[in-house]
Amino acid sequence: MSPPASFHWPAALLRVCTAPWGLWPRDKRALLAPRLAVTAVPAAGRKDRPALPALDERELEEQFVKGHGPGGQATNKTSNCVVLKHVPSGIVVKCHQTRSVDQNRKLARKILQEKVDIFYNGENSLVYKEKQEAEKKKQERKKRAKETLEKKKLLKELWESSKNVH
Amino acid sequence: MPQTWSATGLQSLRRGASLRPRHPFQSLRPVLWTQPLTPRQLQCVQELSSRRLQRMPVQYILGEWDFQGLSLKMVPPVFIPRPETEELVEWVLEEVAQSPCAMGAQGGPLILEVGCGSGAIALSLLSQLPQSRVIAVDKGEAAICLTQENAQRLQLLDRIQIVPLDVTLEGSWAHLLTWGPMDLVVSNPPYIFHRDMEQLAPEIRSYEDPLALDGGEEGMDIITYILALAPWLLKDSGSIFLEVDPRHPELVGSWLQSRPDLSLDLVAVRRDFCGRSRFLHIRRSGAQRGCPADAWPWPLPARVPG
Repeated sequence: MSPPASFHWPAALLRVCTAPWGLWPRDKRALLAPRLAVTAVPAAGRKDRPALPALDERELEEQFVKGHGPGGQATNKTSNCVVLKHVPSGIVVKCHQTRSVDQNRKLARKILQEKVDIFYNGENSLVYKEKQEAEKKKQERKKRAKETLEKKKLLKELWESSKNVH
Repeated sequence: MPQTWSATGLQSLRRGASLRPRHPFQSLRPVLWTQPLTPRQLQCVQELSSRRLQRMPVQYILGEWDFQGLSLKMVPPVFIPRPETEELVEWVLEEVAQSPCAMGAQGGPLILEVGCGSGAIALSLLSQLPQSRVIAVDKGEAAICLTQENAQRLQLLDRIQIVPLDVTLEGSWAHLLTWGPMDLVVSNPPYIFHRDMEQLAPEIRSYEDPLALDGGEEGMDIITYILALAPWLLKDSGSIFLEVDPRHPELVGSWLQSRPDLSLDLVAVRRDFCGRSRFLHIRRSGAQRGCPADAWPWPLPARVPG
Protein backbone atom coordinates (compact mmCIF):
# COMPACT_ATOMS: atom_id res chain seq x y z
CA MET A 1 0.00 0.00 0.00
CA SER A 2 1.66 3.25 -1.02
CA PRO A 3 0.74 6.77 0.11
CA PRO A 4 -1.13 8.97 -2.36
CA ALA A 5 1.11 11.07 -4.58
CA SER A 6 -0.47 14.27 -3.35
CA PHE A 7 0.49 13.61 0.25
CA HIS A 8 2.60 16.29 1.93
CA TRP A 9 3.51 17.51 5.38
CA PRO A 10 1.93 20.88 6.20
CA ALA A 11 4.26 22.71 8.58
CA ALA A 12 1.53 23.30 11.16
CA LEU A 13 0.87 19.60 11.58
CA LEU A 14 4.45 18.97 12.65
CA ARG A 15 3.62 20.61 15.94
CA VAL A 16 0.55 18.48 16.48
CA CYS A 17 1.50 15.12 17.73
CA THR A 18 -0.37 12.05 18.64
CA ALA A 19 -3.84 12.39 17.15
CA PRO A 20 -4.51 10.18 14.15
CA TRP A 21 -3.98 11.93 10.86
CA GLY A 22 -7.11 13.96 10.09
CA LEU A 23 -6.96 13.49 6.32
CA TRP A 24 -7.12 9.75 6.42
CA PRO A 25 -10.36 7.78 6.71
CA ARG A 26 -11.06 6.73 10.30
CA ASP A 27 -12.95 3.62 9.24
CA LYS A 28 -10.39 0.93 9.75
CA ARG A 29 -12.38 -1.70 7.87
CA ALA A 30 -11.59 0.21 4.71
CA LEU A 31 -7.88 -0.27 5.32
CA LEU A 32 -5.84 -3.38 4.88
CA ALA A 33 -4.05 -4.72 7.91
CA PRO A 34 -0.31 -4.05 7.90
CA ARG A 35 1.84 -6.74 6.38
CA LEU A 36 3.74 -8.66 9.04
CA ALA A 37 6.64 -9.23 6.68
CA VAL A 38 10.36 -8.88 7.34
CA THR A 39 10.78 -5.47 8.89
CA ALA A 40 13.43 -3.22 10.27
CA VAL A 41 11.48 -2.73 13.51
CA PRO A 42 12.05 -5.71 15.79
CA ALA A 43 9.05 -7.32 17.41
CA ALA A 44 10.86 -8.27 20.59
CA GLY A 45 8.62 -9.69 23.26
CA ARG A 46 9.14 -10.60 26.85
CA LYS A 47 9.59 -14.27 27.61
CA ASP A 48 6.10 -14.94 28.90
CA ARG A 49 4.28 -12.58 26.52
CA PRO A 50 3.70 -12.59 22.78
CA ALA A 51 5.42 -9.88 20.76
CA LEU A 52 3.71 -6.76 19.45
CA PRO A 53 2.85 -6.97 15.74
CA ALA A 54 5.93 -5.74 13.90
CA LEU A 55 5.97 -2.57 11.84
CA ASP A 56 6.98 -2.68 8.19
CA GLU A 57 9.59 0.03 7.66
CA ARG A 58 8.28 0.52 4.11
CA GLU A 59 4.96 1.69 5.51
CA LEU A 60 6.54 4.36 7.67
CA GLU A 61 7.32 7.97 6.87
CA GLU A 62 9.77 9.76 9.05
CA GLN A 63 10.46 13.43 9.47
CA PHE A 64 12.94 15.20 11.67
CA VAL A 65 11.94 18.55 13.07
CA LYS A 66 15.26 20.25 12.61
CA GLY A 67 16.65 22.91 10.32
CA HIS A 68 17.22 21.70 6.80
CA GLY A 69 20.77 22.99 6.67
CA PRO A 70 23.66 21.09 5.14
CA GLY A 71 23.76 18.72 8.11
CA GLY A 72 26.71 16.89 9.63
CA GLN A 73 29.63 19.06 10.74
CA ALA A 74 28.17 22.10 8.99
CA THR A 75 25.10 22.20 11.23
CA ASN A 76 24.60 22.36 14.97
CA LYS A 77 20.96 22.23 15.90
CA THR A 78 19.79 20.76 19.17
CA SER A 79 16.25 20.02 18.07
CA ASN A 80 16.11 16.26 17.77
CA CYS A 81 12.40 15.60 17.55
CA VAL A 82 11.32 12.67 15.44
CA VAL A 83 7.92 12.57 13.77
CA LEU A 84 6.92 9.13 12.56
CA LYS A 85 3.85 8.23 10.56
CA HIS A 86 2.36 4.83 9.89
CA VAL A 87 0.93 5.40 6.44
CA PRO A 88 -1.78 2.70 6.18
CA SER A 89 -3.47 3.72 9.41
CA GLY A 90 -2.52 7.38 9.42
CA ILE A 91 -1.23 7.27 12.95
CA VAL A 92 1.47 9.84 13.73
CA VAL A 93 3.72 9.86 16.76
CA LYS A 94 6.16 12.47 17.84
CA CYS A 95 9.09 11.66 20.09
CA HIS A 96 11.27 14.22 21.77
CA GLN A 97 12.12 12.32 24.92
CA THR A 98 15.90 12.22 24.71
CA ARG A 99 18.68 14.39 23.33
CA SER A 100 19.61 11.75 20.80
CA VAL A 101 17.91 11.56 17.42
CA ASP A 102 18.85 7.91 17.26
CA GLN A 103 17.21 7.05 20.60
CA ASN A 104 14.15 9.10 19.69
CA ARG A 105 13.79 7.19 16.45
CA LYS A 106 13.84 3.90 18.31
CA LEU A 107 11.38 5.11 20.94
CA ALA A 108 9.05 6.55 18.30
CA ARG A 109 8.91 3.14 16.64
CA LYS A 110 8.12 1.44 19.90
CA ILE A 111 5.31 3.89 20.69
CA LEU A 112 3.98 3.62 17.15
CA GLN A 113 4.02 -0.18 17.35
CA GLU A 114 1.71 -0.03 20.38
CA LYS A 115 -0.63 2.51 18.83
CA VAL A 116 -0.90 0.54 15.60
CA ASP A 117 -1.64 -2.58 17.60
CA ILE A 118 -4.48 -0.83 19.41
CA PHE A 119 -5.76 0.67 16.17
CA TYR A 120 -6.05 -2.62 14.33
CA ASN A 121 -6.70 -5.01 17.16
CA GLY A 122 -8.77 -2.85 19.48
CA GLU A 123 -9.78 -4.99 22.40
CA ASN A 124 -7.60 -7.79 21.13
CA SER A 125 -4.47 -5.65 21.13
CA LEU A 126 -1.62 -6.54 23.44
CA VAL A 127 -1.74 -3.17 25.16
CA TYR A 128 -5.45 -3.46 25.88
CA LYS A 129 -5.10 -7.03 27.10
CA GLU A 130 -2.24 -6.12 29.39
CA LYS A 131 -4.25 -3.26 30.82
CA GLN A 132 -7.20 -5.54 31.44
CA GLU A 133 -5.01 -8.10 33.14
CA ALA A 134 -3.43 -5.46 35.33
CA GLU A 135 -6.86 -4.12 36.23
CA LYS A 136 -8.11 -7.62 36.97
CA LYS A 137 -5.15 -8.31 39.26
CA LYS A 138 -5.76 -5.03 41.02
CA GLN A 139 -9.41 -5.88 41.61
CA GLU A 140 -8.46 -9.32 42.92
CA ARG A 141 -5.97 -7.80 45.35
CA LYS A 142 -8.60 -5.36 46.55
CA LYS A 143 -11.10 -8.13 47.02
CA ARG A 144 -8.64 -10.27 48.97
CA ALA A 145 -7.66 -7.34 51.14
CA LYS A 146 -11.31 -6.63 51.87
CA GLU A 147 -11.97 -10.24 52.76
CA THR A 148 -8.97 -10.35 55.07
CA LEU A 149 -10.14 -7.18 56.78
CA GLU A 150 -13.61 -8.61 57.35
CA LYS A 151 -12.17 -11.82 58.77
CA LYS A 152 -10.05 -9.84 61.21
CA LYS A 153 -13.09 -7.82 62.21
CA LEU A 154 -15.09 -10.96 62.83
CA LEU A 155 -12.30 -12.53 64.88
CA LYS A 156 -11.99 -9.37 66.94
CA GLU A 157 -15.70 -9.36 67.66
CA LEU A 158 -15.59 -12.99 68.71
CA TRP A 159 -12.62 -12.30 70.98
CA GLU A 160 -14.36 -9.31 72.54
CA SER A 161 -17.56 -11.25 73.11
CA SER A 162 -15.68 -14.22 74.59
CA LYS A 163 -13.86 -11.86 76.99
CA ASN A 164 -17.19 -10.52 78.22
CA VAL A 165 -18.48 -13.96 78.95
CA HIS A 166 -15.57 -14.86 81.25
CA MET B 1 13.42 37.54 29.10
CA PRO B 2 14.88 39.96 26.60
CA GLN B 3 12.69 40.59 23.56
CA THR B 4 15.46 39.45 21.23
CA TRP B 5 14.84 35.77 21.97
CA SER B 6 13.13 33.80 19.26
CA ALA B 7 10.51 31.36 20.50
CA THR B 8 12.39 28.35 19.21
CA GLY B 9 15.73 29.59 20.53
CA LEU B 10 14.48 29.81 24.09
CA GLN B 11 12.58 26.58 23.74
CA SER B 12 15.62 24.64 22.58
CA LEU B 13 17.73 25.94 25.46
CA ARG B 14 15.05 25.10 28.00
CA ARG B 15 14.37 21.74 26.39
CA GLY B 16 18.02 20.81 26.23
CA ALA B 17 18.54 21.81 29.83
CA SER B 18 15.40 20.17 31.21
CA LEU B 19 16.36 16.77 29.87
CA ARG B 20 19.22 16.60 32.30
CA PRO B 21 18.57 16.20 36.05
CA ARG B 22 20.76 18.00 38.58
CA HIS B 23 21.17 20.96 36.26
CA PRO B 24 20.20 24.43 37.52
CA PHE B 25 17.48 24.49 34.88
CA GLN B 26 15.90 21.41 36.35
CA SER B 27 13.83 23.87 38.34
CA LEU B 28 12.10 24.94 35.14
CA ARG B 29 10.09 21.74 34.91
CA PRO B 30 6.39 22.47 34.18
CA VAL B 31 5.24 21.69 37.71
CA LEU B 32 7.29 24.60 39.05
CA TRP B 33 6.36 27.15 36.39
CA THR B 34 3.69 28.63 38.68
CA GLN B 35 6.29 29.58 41.28
CA PRO B 36 8.34 32.75 40.91
CA LEU B 37 12.08 32.30 40.38
CA THR B 38 14.39 32.87 43.31
CA PRO B 39 16.97 35.64 42.87
CA ARG B 40 19.69 33.01 42.44
CA GLN B 41 17.71 31.19 39.79
CA LEU B 42 17.01 34.44 38.01
CA GLN B 43 20.69 35.33 37.96
CA CYS B 44 21.52 31.87 36.64
CA VAL B 45 18.93 32.19 33.89
CA GLN B 46 20.25 35.61 32.90
CA GLU B 47 23.83 34.37 32.75
CA LEU B 48 22.97 31.38 30.62
CA SER B 49 20.67 33.43 28.43
CA SER B 50 23.29 36.04 27.71
CA ARG B 51 25.63 33.30 26.55
CA ARG B 52 22.95 31.98 24.25
CA LEU B 53 22.33 35.46 22.92
CA GLN B 54 26.02 35.58 22.05
CA ARG B 55 25.32 32.48 19.93
CA MET B 56 27.21 30.11 22.15
CA PRO B 57 26.08 26.57 21.30
CA VAL B 58 23.68 25.06 23.83
CA GLN B 59 26.04 22.18 24.42
CA TYR B 60 28.81 24.53 25.56
CA ILE B 61 26.41 26.50 27.77
CA LEU B 62 25.24 23.34 29.48
CA GLY B 63 28.75 21.95 29.53
CA GLU B 64 27.53 18.53 28.55
CA TRP B 65 25.62 16.67 25.89
CA ASP B 66 24.49 13.14 25.16
CA PHE B 67 25.86 10.82 22.54
CA GLN B 68 24.63 7.27 22.04
CA GLY B 69 23.18 7.28 25.52
CA LEU B 70 26.40 8.50 27.15
CA SER B 71 26.65 11.84 28.88
CA LEU B 72 29.79 13.65 27.74
CA LYS B 73 31.36 16.84 29.00
CA MET B 74 31.55 19.60 26.40
CA VAL B 75 34.12 22.37 26.46
CA PRO B 76 34.83 24.97 23.78
CA PRO B 77 36.47 24.83 21.33
CA VAL B 78 36.39 21.02 21.19
CA PHE B 79 34.07 19.87 18.42
CA ILE B 80 30.54 19.00 19.51
CA PRO B 81 29.40 15.55 18.38
CA ARG B 82 26.67 15.73 15.76
CA PRO B 83 23.56 13.51 15.75
CA GLU B 84 24.54 11.98 12.40
CA THR B 85 27.70 10.58 13.92
CA GLU B 86 25.61 8.34 16.17
CA GLU B 87 24.67 6.48 13.01
CA LEU B 88 28.34 6.01 12.16
CA VAL B 89 28.75 4.25 15.48
CA GLU B 90 25.63 2.15 14.81
CA TRP B 91 27.05 1.04 11.49
CA VAL B 92 30.38 0.04 13.02
CA LEU B 93 28.55 -1.94 15.70
CA GLU B 94 26.48 -3.73 13.07
CA GLU B 95 29.57 -4.69 11.09
CA VAL B 96 31.41 -5.92 14.17
CA ALA B 97 28.40 -8.03 15.17
CA GLN B 98 28.31 -9.61 11.72
CA SER B 99 31.96 -10.57 11.58
CA PRO B 100 33.11 -11.60 15.03
CA CYS B 101 35.92 -13.79 13.72
CA ALA B 102 37.41 -11.03 11.62
CA MET B 103 37.41 -8.70 14.60
CA GLY B 104 39.29 -11.03 16.92
CA ALA B 105 37.61 -12.80 19.81
CA GLN B 106 40.04 -11.86 22.53
CA GLY B 107 40.49 -8.22 23.37
CA GLY B 108 38.92 -7.22 20.11
CA PRO B 109 38.27 -5.36 18.00
CA LEU B 110 41.28 -3.03 18.17
CA ILE B 111 40.10 0.32 16.85
CA LEU B 112 41.94 3.47 15.85
CA GLU B 113 39.95 6.68 15.99
CA VAL B 114 41.43 9.64 14.16
CA GLY B 115 40.31 13.01 15.51
CA CYS B 116 38.62 11.91 18.73
CA GLY B 117 37.44 15.39 19.82
CA SER B 118 35.35 14.93 22.98
CA GLY B 119 35.79 11.14 22.78
CA ALA B 120 32.25 10.52 21.56
CA ILE B 121 32.98 7.83 18.98
CA ALA B 122 35.74 6.11 20.94
CA LEU B 123 33.81 5.95 24.20
CA SER B 124 30.51 4.86 22.70
CA LEU B 125 32.28 2.02 20.88
CA LEU B 126 34.10 0.99 24.03
CA SER B 127 30.93 1.02 26.09
CA GLN B 128 29.00 -1.10 23.61
CA LEU B 129 31.85 -3.49 22.72
CA PRO B 130 33.06 -4.70 26.11
CA GLN B 131 36.07 -6.56 24.64
CA SER B 132 37.24 -3.75 22.40
CA ARG B 133 40.22 -1.45 22.78
CA VAL B 134 40.58 1.97 21.22
CA ILE B 135 43.53 4.14 20.31
CA ALA B 136 42.14 7.67 20.14
CA VAL B 137 44.29 10.35 18.53
CA ASP B 138 43.79 14.06 18.00
CA LYS B 139 46.08 16.92 17.13
CA GLY B 140 44.30 19.31 19.50
CA GLU B 141 45.49 19.49 23.09
CA ALA B 142 42.03 20.49 24.36
CA ALA B 143 40.53 17.46 22.63
CA ILE B 144 43.08 15.14 24.22
CA CYS B 145 42.26 16.53 27.67
CA LEU B 146 38.53 16.34 27.15
CA THR B 147 38.63 12.77 25.83
CA GLN B 148 40.73 11.86 28.87
CA GLU B 149 38.22 13.46 31.20
CA ASN B 150 35.21 11.83 29.55
CA ALA B 151 36.95 8.45 29.55
CA GLN B 152 37.56 8.87 33.27
CA ARG B 153 33.95 9.89 33.95
CA LEU B 154 32.76 6.78 32.14
CA GLN B 155 35.42 4.54 33.69
CA LEU B 156 36.76 3.44 30.34
CA LEU B 157 40.36 4.50 30.85
CA ASP B 158 41.55 0.91 31.06
CA ARG B 159 40.69 0.17 27.43
CA ILE B 160 41.65 3.43 25.74
CA GLN B 161 44.96 4.95 24.71
CA ILE B 162 44.65 8.68 24.13
CA VAL B 163 47.51 9.98 22.00
CA PRO B 164 48.25 13.53 20.85
CA LEU B 165 48.96 13.08 17.17
CA ASP B 166 48.77 14.96 13.90
CA VAL B 167 48.37 12.35 11.17
CA THR B 168 49.49 14.82 8.52
CA LEU B 169 52.94 15.14 10.08
CA GLU B 170 55.52 12.82 8.60
CA GLY B 171 56.46 9.82 10.70
CA SER B 172 54.09 10.87 13.47
CA TRP B 173 51.86 7.81 13.42
CA ALA B 174 54.50 5.13 13.00
CA HIS B 175 54.73 4.39 16.73
CA LEU B 176 51.05 3.38 16.72
CA LEU B 177 52.29 0.15 15.20
CA THR B 178 53.59 -0.82 18.64
CA TRP B 179 49.98 -1.61 19.62
CA GLY B 180 49.72 -4.04 16.79
CA PRO B 181 47.74 -4.06 13.58
CA MET B 182 44.23 -2.68 13.92
CA ASP B 183 40.88 -4.21 13.03
CA LEU B 184 39.23 -0.87 12.32
CA VAL B 185 39.97 2.76 11.63
CA VAL B 186 37.04 5.06 12.43
CA SER B 187 36.89 8.80 11.90
CA ASN B 188 34.73 11.86 11.63
CA PRO B 189 37.53 13.94 10.14
CA PRO B 190 37.25 17.64 9.28
CA TYR B 191 35.39 17.42 5.97
CA ILE B 192 33.94 20.83 5.24
CA PHE B 193 34.99 22.42 1.98
CA HIS B 194 37.13 25.45 2.78
CA ARG B 195 34.92 27.77 0.73
CA ASP B 196 31.89 26.68 2.84
CA MET B 197 33.52 27.61 6.14
CA GLU B 198 32.38 31.22 6.06
CA GLN B 199 28.76 30.17 5.59
CA LEU B 200 28.68 28.25 8.83
CA ALA B 201 26.29 29.45 11.54
CA PRO B 202 27.81 31.81 14.13
CA GLU B 203 27.48 29.08 16.77
CA ILE B 204 29.95 26.98 14.86
CA ARG B 205 32.20 29.67 13.43
CA SER B 206 32.77 31.53 16.67
CA TYR B 207 33.02 28.72 19.16
CA GLU B 208 34.16 25.44 17.59
CA ASP B 209 37.73 24.76 16.53
CA PRO B 210 37.97 25.49 12.78
CA LEU B 211 40.72 22.87 12.51
CA ALA B 212 38.11 20.28 13.44
CA LEU B 213 35.94 21.38 10.52
CA ASP B 214 38.06 22.65 7.63
CA GLY B 215 38.97 19.84 5.26
CA GLY B 216 40.70 22.01 2.69
CA GLU B 217 39.66 22.90 -0.81
CA GLU B 218 37.52 19.84 -1.47
CA GLY B 219 37.19 18.78 2.15
CA MET B 220 39.45 15.83 1.37
CA ASP B 221 42.75 16.83 2.97
CA ILE B 222 42.51 14.84 6.21
CA ILE B 223 40.53 12.04 4.57
CA THR B 224 43.34 11.35 2.11
CA TYR B 225 45.91 11.20 4.90
CA ILE B 226 43.78 8.72 6.83
CA LEU B 227 43.31 6.55 3.76
CA ALA B 228 47.03 6.68 2.99
CA LEU B 229 48.12 5.58 6.47
CA ALA B 230 45.38 3.01 7.03
CA PRO B 231 46.92 0.17 4.96
CA TRP B 232 50.03 0.42 7.17
CA LEU B 233 48.04 0.04 10.34
CA LEU B 234 45.18 -2.28 9.36
CA LYS B 235 45.06 -6.06 9.41
CA ASP B 236 44.27 -7.84 6.17
CA SER B 237 40.65 -7.13 5.28
CA GLY B 238 40.52 -4.50 8.01
CA SER B 239 37.97 -1.73 7.60
CA ILE B 240 37.82 2.05 7.59
CA PHE B 241 34.59 3.84 8.53
CA LEU B 242 34.32 7.53 7.79
CA GLU B 243 31.77 10.28 8.13
CA VAL B 244 32.01 12.65 5.18
CA ASP B 245 30.36 15.39 3.18
CA PRO B 246 27.63 14.14 0.77
CA ARG B 247 29.92 15.08 -2.15
CA HIS B 248 32.70 12.81 -0.94
CA PRO B 249 31.55 9.30 -1.88
CA GLU B 250 32.29 10.10 -5.53
CA LEU B 251 35.48 12.01 -4.77
CA VAL B 252 36.80 9.29 -2.48
CA GLY B 253 35.90 6.62 -5.04
CA SER B 254 37.92 8.39 -7.73
CA TRP B 255 40.79 9.09 -5.40
CA LEU B 256 41.04 5.42 -4.36
CA GLN B 257 41.05 4.39 -8.01
CA SER B 258 44.01 6.70 -8.58
CA ARG B 259 45.85 4.99 -5.71
CA PRO B 260 45.77 1.25 -6.46
CA ASP B 261 48.93 0.93 -4.36
CA LEU B 262 46.81 1.32 -1.24
CA SER B 263 44.73 -1.80 -1.96
CA LEU B 264 41.62 -0.13 -0.56
CA ASP B 265 38.11 -0.63 -1.92
CA LEU B 266 35.07 1.54 -1.27
CA VAL B 267 32.61 -1.21 -0.37
CA ALA B 268 29.58 0.71 0.85
CA VAL B 269 28.01 4.16 1.20
CA ARG B 270 25.34 4.74 3.82
CA ARG B 271 22.85 7.57 4.12
CA ASP B 272 22.12 9.51 7.30
CA PHE B 273 18.61 10.04 8.68
CA CYS B 274 18.15 13.04 6.38
CA GLY B 275 18.79 10.86 3.35
CA ARG B 276 22.22 12.31 2.58
CA SER B 277 25.17 10.09 1.66
CA ARG B 278 27.14 10.48 4.85
CA PHE B 279 29.16 7.40 5.68
CA LEU B 280 31.76 5.31 3.87
CA HIS B 281 32.97 1.78 4.46
CA ILE B 282 36.35 1.13 2.91
CA ARG B 283 38.10 -2.21 3.15
CA ARG B 284 41.72 -3.16 2.83
CA SER B 285 41.95 -5.98 0.32
CA GLY B 286 44.66 -8.26 1.63
CA ALA B 287 48.44 -8.05 2.01
CA GLN B 288 50.49 -5.29 0.44
CA ARG B 289 52.61 -6.19 -2.55
CA GLY B 290 55.37 -3.74 -1.66
CA CYS B 291 56.12 -0.29 -0.35
CA PRO B 292 55.10 2.45 -2.75
CA ALA B 293 57.91 4.70 -1.57
CA ASP B 294 57.41 7.52 -4.04
CA ALA B 295 53.66 7.78 -3.44
CA TRP B 296 53.84 8.37 0.31
CA PRO B 297 53.75 11.88 1.70
CA TRP B 298 56.13 10.88 4.49
CA PRO B 299 59.28 8.77 4.85
CA LEU B 300 58.46 5.11 5.46
CA PRO B 301 58.49 3.65 8.95
CA ALA B 302 61.28 1.14 9.69
CA ARG B 303 58.85 -1.79 10.15
CA VAL B 304 57.09 -3.35 7.17
CA PRO B 305 53.40 -4.03 7.76
CA GLY B 306 52.53 -7.74 8.08
